[in-house]
Amino acid sequence: MMLFQSMFSSSSSPFRLSFPGCLGACLALCLSVCLALAATPSFAGSRIVGTGGVSAIEGAAGGGLSPWAVLTSTASEQEIGVTAATTRAWVDDYRLTVTSASVNIYDRVEVSVARQTLDLETLGGELGQDIYGAKLRLFGDVLYYPWGIWSAGVQHKRLVDGTVPTALGADETRGTDVYLSASKLLFSAVAGRNVLLNATLRNTDANQGGLLGFGGDQGNRSWMAEGSVGVFITPRWIVGAEYRQKPDNLSVATEDDWQSLYSAYFFNKHLSLTGAWLDLGDIAGLPSQHGGYLSLQAAF
Amino acid sequence: MTYQRKTHRHNSYQHKHNRARRCLVALTLAMLTLTGCAYQPTQTTLYERLGGENTIEAVVENLLYRIADDPEVVVFFANTNIDLFAESLASQLCDVSDGPCQYEGPPMDRAHQHMGLTDVHFNRLVEHLDAAMQEEGIALGARNELLGRLAPMYADVMRLQ
Repeated sequence: MMLFQSMFSSSSSPFRLSFPGCLGACLALCLSVCLALAATPSFAGSRIVGTGGVSAIEGAAGGGLSPWAVLTSTASEQEIGVTAATTRAWVDDYRLTVTSASVNIYDRVEVSVARQTLDLETLGGELGQDIYGAKLRLFGDVLYYPWGIWSAGVQHKRLVDGTVPTALGADETRGTDVYLSASKLLFSAVAGRNVLLNATLRNTDANQGGLLGFGGDQGNRSWMAEGSVGVFITPRWIVGAEYRQKPDNLSVATEDDWQSLYSAYFFNKHLSLTGAWLDLGDIAGLPSQHGGYLSLQAAF
Repeated sequence: MTYQRKTHRHNSYQHKHNRARRCLVALTLAMLTLTGCAYQPTQTTLYERLGGENTIEAVVENLLYRIADDPEVVVFFANTNIDLFAESLASQLCDVSDGPCQYEGPPMDRAHQHMGLTDVHFNRLVEHLDAAMQEEGIALGARNELLGRLAPMYADVMRLQ
């Protein structure tokens, strides 16, 4: 444990100093944009509210933990949508902050960027990575097609500082995930409420989503299953559960699957707030990480 | 020694983890059961739950006002006999919801052919219809069910664009 502590604390970087200011500015910008948008409900995409999901922690449209097949915002054919999101997750020994942005071009292609910062509150120091994502809608629509919407995506991840993950046994400090995802809304499926189903198959070598590097002494690339079920209690409010299978590549840091219970509220097409309860299992040697999650997304 | 400690810790964790997972499953089931119990399954048709002929006619009228106010959609009705259209749409909604009507209008692909419709227009109409149903006091469950029965028409409407 001492070994972990000294390794993690050595990783504190100048970025840590500048980040709270940057986050504050981002939040202020987000909020002012949200307020401006809430005041002028024009410029919204034409897709039905909620059909763009929210921003997942890796920047792509999805739930919280996993990308969905839907593309971000409510942009449809011939429309372009832009979203920005700020997300924070608190578990027993860690705090994750994500700032992300994405663009939807004609409801065909989604491009996203995300900066993740994991504060190691017990061990000391922080880990960070940048994620560049793209998602292509292969065919379908979450509402109108009997087989739903199908998309393929890629997420290229780069660690800000690879010292700690490499010391833990990770092979690489950069990695690329590819995934295939399907989403479908079942109308009036439970108690007259619509139910949203998502399934994602991801090929990845990322440890803890990439924050602990890529590959390791126990394995490398493998296919992982992710999925979620949500019930739209009202057309603007969905509650559900999400599950993400994870690899376990590092012998010194056992990794577990992630799961969450979530609730997302869409105030309108421009603003959504997501809350969740997380069970992330073991992370970097510290067991049984539980906690909360909040994410605010603005879309225009 | 180190390995033993890790195994021990991991076992106790595994136990906790399993408990947490069981909790999660139980919670999800409880949630579904609760919403299931709150819902009174009825023998009535969707047509009756929508409110029958009067409500459907009110919804169609409400929808037409919304279309008239939407410059992007109203253009498609430039050459439409609105009275005939209203009657035809009401009979279709009645038919689709298992009411005592037989829709005798043109099939959806022919009715919309070469109009240059895009997803934008289709989505717009769905929004207008749902808003009209909401304003006419139709409950969420019935709205969702009707939308669910209309959704597959997307393929027919878009086939000949």
